[in-house]
Amino acid sequence: MSIVKFENVTRIYKSGEHELKALDDVSFNLDEGKFVVILGPSGAGKSTLLNMLGGLDSPTEGTITVNGRDISTLSDNELADYRAATVGFVFQFYNLIPTLTVYENVELVSQIAPDALDAKQMIAEVGLSDHLHNFPSELSGGEQQRISIARALAKNPKILLCDEPTGALDSETGVRVLKLLLGMARNYGKTIVIVTHNQSIAKMADTVIRVKNGKIREIINQDRPLGVEEVEW
Amino acid sequence: MLTRKLLRTAWSYKAQFISMIIMITLGMGMFLGFNMEWKTIEVDTGSFFEQTSYADYRLYSEKGFTSDDIKKISSIKGVRAATRYLSVNLDLKGEKNKSLALDVSENYKVSTFTVIDGAAYDESSDGFWLSDKFAEKNKLAIGDSLSLEFQGTEISVKIVGLIKAGEHMICVADKNQMMPDYSTFGYAYISPKKLKAVLRDKIQNDFKKELEKSRVPAEFIDENLTGLFVTDDMLSEVETKAFAQINILSDLSKKSLEKAVKKKLGRTIMVTSKDDHVVCKEANGEAEEGKTMGSVLPVLFLAIAILTMVTTMHRIATKEKTQIGTLKALGFKNRRILRHYTSYGLFIGVVGTALGVALGYAVCKAIMSEDGMMGTYFDMPDWGVAIPAFCYPVMAATIALLTLISYLSVRQQLKGTAADALRPYSPKKMRKIFLERFRFWDKMRFGTKWNIRDLSRHKSRSAMTLFGIVGCMVLMVGGLGMRDTMAGFLNLLDHDISNYTTKVNLVDDADMKKSKELYRELGGDWESLAGISLDGDTVTLDIVHNPSGLFNVIDEDNNRIELKNEGVYLCLRLSDRAKPGDEIKFSPYGSKKTYSAKVLGYNRSVMTESVTITDTLADKLGIEYSVSSIYTDKKIAEIKSNDLISGKQDKAQLMESFNSFVEIMDGMVIILVIAAAVLGIVVLYNLGIMSYVERSRELATLKVLGFRNRTIGRLLISQNIWLTFIGVAIGLPAGVGVLQWLITALAGEYEMRLMLGVLTYLVSVVLTFGVSLLVGLMVARKNKKIDMVEALKGAE
Repeated sequence: MSIVKFENVTRIYKSGEHELKALDDVSFNLDEGKFVVILGPSGAGKSTLLNMLGGLDSPTEGTITVNGRDISTLSDNELADYRAATVGFVFQFYNLIPTLTVYENVELVSQIAPDALDAKQMIAEVGLSDHLHNFPSELSGGEQQRISIARALAKNPKILLCDEPTGALDSETGVRVLKLLLGMARNYGKTIVIVTHNQSIAKMADTVIRVKNGKIREIINQDRPLGVEEVEW
Repeated sequence: MLTRKLLRTAWSYKAQFISMIIMITLGMGMFLGFNMEWKTIEVDTGSFFEQTSYADYRLYSEKGFTSDDIKKISSIKGVRAATRYLSVNLDLKGEKNKSLALDVSENYKVSTFTVIDGAAYDESSDGFWLSDKFAEKNKLAIGDSLSLEFQGTEISVKIVGLIKAGEHMICVADKNQMMPDYSTFGYAYISPKKLKAVLRDKIQNDFKKELEKSRVPAEFIDENLTGLFVTDDMLSEVETKAFAQINILSDLSKKSLEKAVKKKLGRTIMVTSKDDHVVCKEANGEAEEGKTMGSVLPVLFLAIAILTMVTTMHRIATKEKTQIGTLKALGFKNRRILRHYTSYGLFIGVVGTALGVALGYAVCKAIMSEDGMMGTYFDMPDWGVAIPAFCYPVMAATIALLTLISYLSVRQQLKGTAADALRPYSPKKMRKIFLERFRFWDKMRFGTKWNIRDLSRHKSRSAMTLFGIVGCMVLMVGGLGMRDTMAGFLNLLDHDISNYTTKVNLVDDADMKKSKELYRELGGDWESLAGISLDGDTVTLDIVHNPSGLFNVIDEDNNRIELKNEGVYLCLRLSDRAKPGDEIKFSPYGSKKTYSAKVLGYNRSVMTESVTITDTLADKLGIEYSVSSIYTDKKIAEIKSNDLISGKQDKAQLMESFNSFVEIMDGMVIILVIAAAVLGIVVLYNLGIMSYVERSRELATLKVLGFRNRTIGRLLISQNIWLTFIGVAIGLPAGVGVLQWLITALAGEYEMRLMLGVLTYLVSVVLTFGVSLLVGLMVARKNKKIDMVEALKGAE
C-alpha cells in the first residue's frame, strides 16, 4: 500500500529574474515499510524531494499525499504538526541542540509528538545509555548521529527521512550507523527514505529512485536487496 | 576593492551596523549635549557678565553709603571700579500685581546694561531704560510712560531704551521666586541724576504731607514752598540711605577686600562675592547641575554603547572568519586584512561620532537657546554654543577605542594559519552549569533549560543585554525620579511650609514699630532674615514669629516645629556643626557683638542654610533686627502699599513660577526617557538579533522537529523577559542610588529629599518591560521566516 504519493510535483526557486526548476513534474509512489534510496549527483533535486516529503518546503505545482493526506496545501502550523507526528529526520550534520544533553535532546520530541516513545529506551537502543547526561559536543560524530537516530525514532513517525546520514562520518563508523538505522527502522516497521549519492547504500534498498536535473530517471524495485555486511564499501 | 567589500559587508550586517551607529550617536549625543549645555551656560552667562560689568563684590549696609564711603572704597588697591548702587522693587501704578526692580548705578563702569533698542545710556537723562522682555510681555514701547510708586511718591518716567542687564539676567523678585515671569516682574534703570530728582520730590512730598497736617493754609502749599525745605545735606542724607549697596569690580579675595573695607570705613561691612548674588549663584548652580547630570547619565549612555560594540564586533569578526581565511589564502597579508576589518570600527566610530555631534548640538540647543528650555530662565542677548575642551579627547578616544575593538576582534581570528582561519568558527563546548547540581533542574521544562544554558554559554551577550536593561531602567528612574523629587519639594513648599495667601516684603531696615503696626493690621506670621557669621561662614539668621501657622518651620519629617524660646534650631545642612545641647556662637554682619545659644534641634530649611530662633529669644539676647516679610491671609488687592512695603507676592503666583521651573525639568526628563527607551530598544534589538542568528540553527532544528512558530517565539521572548526581570531588579535600586547621588550633588542650593512616586516605579518598569517585549516580538517575528533548509546546511 502506498504511503507516499507524488503527483506531477514541480518546485521552482526564483532568484531575481532567474528561475531554477529543482523538481520538474515528478510523480511516484512509495510503499509503507519499505527502504527507499533516492540517488543522484549534487544538484539533481534529491534534497528538494526529501524536503517536500518532510514538510520543510511546499511544491510550486502538483500534490504530495502522505498517509492519505495532501500535505502540499497545509498551513505553517499544520505542516509543523505533520512534521511532529508523521516524519522523523536524520541529518548529515546531526543537528542536535548543543545546549541540551543527550537525554534532553531525545526527550524534547515527547513535547510535540503525540505517540512519542520513551527517550531512555531509545537511547539504550542506540547504545548510549552511559552518555545520557553528556552534551552533544562531548560525543564523537558517530555517537551524535546515533542520538540523532534515537531522536528521530522517539517521535514514533511513520516515515524516517535521512539526508546523507553517513556523509560526515568515516566509512567504518558510517557502516555501523547505517546498520543501526536500518535495523531499528525495520524493528519499528518504519518507511525509510535516504537521500545519498553513495551507490553502495542503494544496493541495500527495496526501491531506488534515480534523480537527475530535477526529473526522475528511473525507479528500480529490488526484489533481493543486500544486507549491510554484503555490501562492499 | 576592499572598500567595496567594506560597504557591502556593512550592508549585509545592516541591522548591527545601524544599531551600533545609533548607539554611538545616542551615547555621544547625550554626552556632548549635556556637557555642552553646562559649558554654554558658563560661557554665555560669563561673557554677558563681562559685557555688562557684573559686579565681583557687593557691600551691603542698612544705613547706606555716603559719597565719602564710595571714594574710600574706590581708593582701595585692587579695586578696579566701584559704584554706589540702588536696586529696589517698586509697584507699577495702576497695574495689579506688576512690579519692577528699579536700579541706579552711580558709576556707569560697574553693573551696566546692553541697549537692545533706543537711546544709549546717558547719566543726565530723565528717561527709563526698561527690560526688553518686560516691555514685550506688557506691550510697552519706547516713548511710553510708566508710573512707579517709590515710598509713597509717584515717579513717572518715559521709556527711552530697551535693555538687558547682567545684574538681572535671571529676573526674579526675590530668592524665593525660581523662575522669571516678565508679565509681572521686570527691571529698569534710571540715571543718578533722575534718582536725585526723585529723592528731592520725595522729600518735598513728605514735607507737603507734614504741612497739610499743620495749620498752613492749603493754597500756600506748593512746590516753591516745599522746595525751600530741601537742603543739600538733607538730600545727601536721603541719597546715602537709598544707596544701601556698593558694587565693586575687583580681583581681590573676599577676605582681603573685607579687611581693606573695614580698615577704610572703620566698621564691619557685609561683603558678598558675586557667587553669592542670586543671578550668578543661580547661573553657576545651573552649570553645576548640568555638570553633575553630564557626568553620570550621558556617561552611562556612552558606556552602554561602547560595551555593546565590543560584543557585536566580536560576533561580526567570528562570522567573518571564513572570509578572513579566504583573504588570507588568497595571499593578502595579515596587516592588510587587519586594516580592512579595523576600518569597520573606524567607520562606525566616525559616522556615529559625527551624528552624535549633531545630536549633541540639537540637545544643547533644545535646552540652551532663546527659544529653548532655558530661554525663559536666562535673559541674555547672545546665545552661542560652547563645548568643553575635554569633549574633543573623549570623541577621539571613542573613535580610537571602537577602532581598537575591531582590531582586537579581528586579530583573534587571524591567529594561526590560513587553513585555521578557513575552518568555520566553532562555538564553545557546552559544560554543565552550577544549577544542574540541584534536583529541581531535572523538573524544569526543556525551554527553560535551553534558555538558561544559552545564557550561560553566551555570557558576554547576556551580560550586555542585562547591562542595557539596567541602563535603561537607571535612566528612567533617574529622570522620572528627579521630577518626583522636584514635585515633592514644591509640595512641601506649597503645603507644609507655606499656608499664606500673600507674602509682604518690607524694605531693608524697616522701622520695627511701624512693622509691628502693619503686622497687627495684616495678621499672620512674620520673619526676619539677616546675614550672620557662623564659624566664619555666611549663613542666614531666621528670626521667626509664627503663631498662626501661615509660615512653618518644619522638622525632618515635614511636621511643624513649635519653636521654643530656650535655644536655636539649625537647618539639617548645618547639622554637622553642632549637636542638640551644644552651644553655638554667631555674630550678625555689621555688628561687633557675638551671641551664643544652645542648639535645641534641627529643622528643614529648603532654601538657605539657616539658624532659626524665635523673636522672643532674639529680643532676650538683644539682637537688633528688622522684619523682612509678613505672611498674611489677605489678598494682594486688600493690602494698601506704603513706604514700608517693598513688594507683595501672591503665593499662587510664586508657585506658578516654580511650575515653570518644573516644566524645564520635564523637558530634560522627556529627553532622557526617550533616549533611554531608544537605547533600550537598540541595545536589546541588536543583541536579540545576535542571539537569534547564533541560535538560528537550533531554532531551525526545532522547527523541523515539528515545533510551532509560536512555541519557538515564546522561547525567544522568555529569555528577554527573564533578563528584563533581573535587569529591573538590579536597575531599580541602581536607579534610586544614582538619583540619590544626583540629588546630594545638586543639593547645594536647595535641600531636596529623594522622592519617588508609585507612578515612576510603574512607568519605569512597564516601559522597560514594554521595550523588552517589543524587541522580543520583533525578533520572534523573524523566526517565521527562518529557512529550515538553509539553516540546517553545513556543520556547526
